[in-house]
Amino acid sequence: MPYSYKENRIVGGAGADDTYWEGLEDGKFKLSRCAECRTWIWPASWRCGTCGSWELDWTDVEPVGTVYAYTRTWYPFDRVPERAAQVPYVVVLAELPDAGNTRVLGVLKGDETGLRVGAAVRGEIDSPTPEAKGHAAIRWVLTR
Amino acid sequence: MNTKFRGATAVVGIGQTPYYKRGTSPDPELKLALKAIVAACDDAGISPKDIDGFVSYGSERNDGQRLMPALGTKDMTFNALAWSHGGGIPGALGVAASAIVSGVAETVVVYRAMAEASNRRLRVAVAQDDTSAQYLVNGISAPAQICAMRSMRMIEHEGVPQSALRAMSMASYHHANRNPTAVGRDIKLDETTYDESRLVSEPFHLFDCSRENDGAAAVILTSADRAADLRTTPAYLLAAPMGAGKGWGLTEESREPYTSAGFATVAARLWRDSGYGPGDVDVVQVYENFTGPGAAALMDHGFCTRENAAEVLTFENLIAPSGGLPINTAGGNLADCFIHGMALVPEAVRQIRGESPNQVPGAKLSLMTGGPGDSAVSSALFGSADTL
Repeated sequence: MPYSYKENRIVGGAGADDTYWEGLEDGKFKLSRCAECRTWIWPASWRCGTCGSWELDWTDVEPVGTVYAYTRTWYPFDRVPERAAQVPYVVVLAELPDAGNTRVLGVLKGDETGLRVGAAVRGEIDSPTPEAKGHAAIRWVLTR
Repeated sequence: MNTKFRGATAVVGIGQTPYYKRGTSPDPELKLALKAIVAACDDAGISPKDIDGFVSYGSERNDGQRLMPALGTKDMTFNALAWSHGGGIPGALGVAASAIVSGVAETVVVYRAMAEASNRRLRVAVAQDDTSAQYLVNGISAPAQICAMRSMRMIEHEGVPQSALRAMSMASYHHANRNPTAVGRDIKLDETTYDESRLVSEPFHLFDCSRENDGAAAVILTSADRAADLRTTPAYLLAAPMGAGKGWGLTEESREPYTSAGFATVAARLWRDSGYGPGDVDVVQVYENFTGPGAAALMDHGFCTRENAAEVLTFENLIAPSGGLPINTAGGNLADCFIHGMALVPEAVRQIRGESPNQVPGAKLSLMTGGPGDSAVSSALFGSADTL
């Protein structure tokens, strides 16, 4: 079956993260690092700016980290109309120590109790949904 | 100091159209651009036909070739766009000055025009293909939300109080109340009104956010030698660095330092090239797409720190003529208008001329900082003749 993200492709940014979206649809959380110098690279890029390698390694990562930043959105912004019914919703930027402190966005799932910068989170993968624009997505869950 | 660039050019003309609620301009964008440019020429006392250089920034669509038939341009010798979004405004002045200093052009207009009905900026041009799937899949569509995350960390983790953001907003509306052309001239903002206003994306309330307007603004730059022969008081361009340091650029939420506005290297070059420092500046037009990034820009430029932001960023300190750090004296992006920040440039110049609606007495050094948190940024320092 074709990947859902390909049929719902979003053009924007560097556009080097197809493997990330494929990984999520396959149930895996993968982040990218340089195949040569091992620097974690995020957002994914086409070339390692540190050593010059053109090769990225997509590495399985345990989605466990802390809240680096977040916002609770109260307005149904026009390029994410699929989220209008969920307003207000919280988007978390999670920092992942097992991936060189790479920071990855995801919509908070579950109870908001204890939400603050520094709170512990773990990731769960949602299959493609309309509100995630046909993409599989990592969801951050607060852990205690 | 950068002796080749410093004070070699000056703004000699400023022009702006009326500022309209978004989508309500009676004129299309190209006509707005023409009106602002012709107004700037009238102010300077030069003929629009003599403009030989055209510079804008971001997603401006009205390039020089579109403007020159109606301006009667005799000979276009320079035509360029400074890359980035609102971060590029002072950089556009720097591009214009570079063309003049290098002898490529003599009279350069820097301008920006927006009319939502004919341009569809919010749908097309704001995005500029910078909003990646990483944002849109996760419910992030707007700069308000992206800047909100950065400001949330600045507040929760670094201890900058929300009162600093509120003070910036109140100062902007206070100045707009005294500026008859400001879109927000009739909006009274006190602490209660701010606190009770609806949340947009936390920590931002409605009054932390700029809102798009229709309109245009333009300034004319020429050499300091030629400026001396014109009728207006020159606002000399002392420095206008652009760029971004390592760890910045289009790095989405991986940028470092995360809660900064991105000016670390640019501000250092601004002070080095101009020979001045933050303590010398009389008045600041700080681009505030939202209050939080505006506060970060002030910190990046050395006006305060995370630690003393609560004491420096107060309403009393931020208003003219009595405050020590008067900002956004026409109302800024929040309360004067938002033409992608371009209206801040004529106001920075008016302060040097002594013509601001909220004049800082005897202002000699007038700073404008570009769009904070943009993936590349820029700043410009204007000075009176005394500062050369």
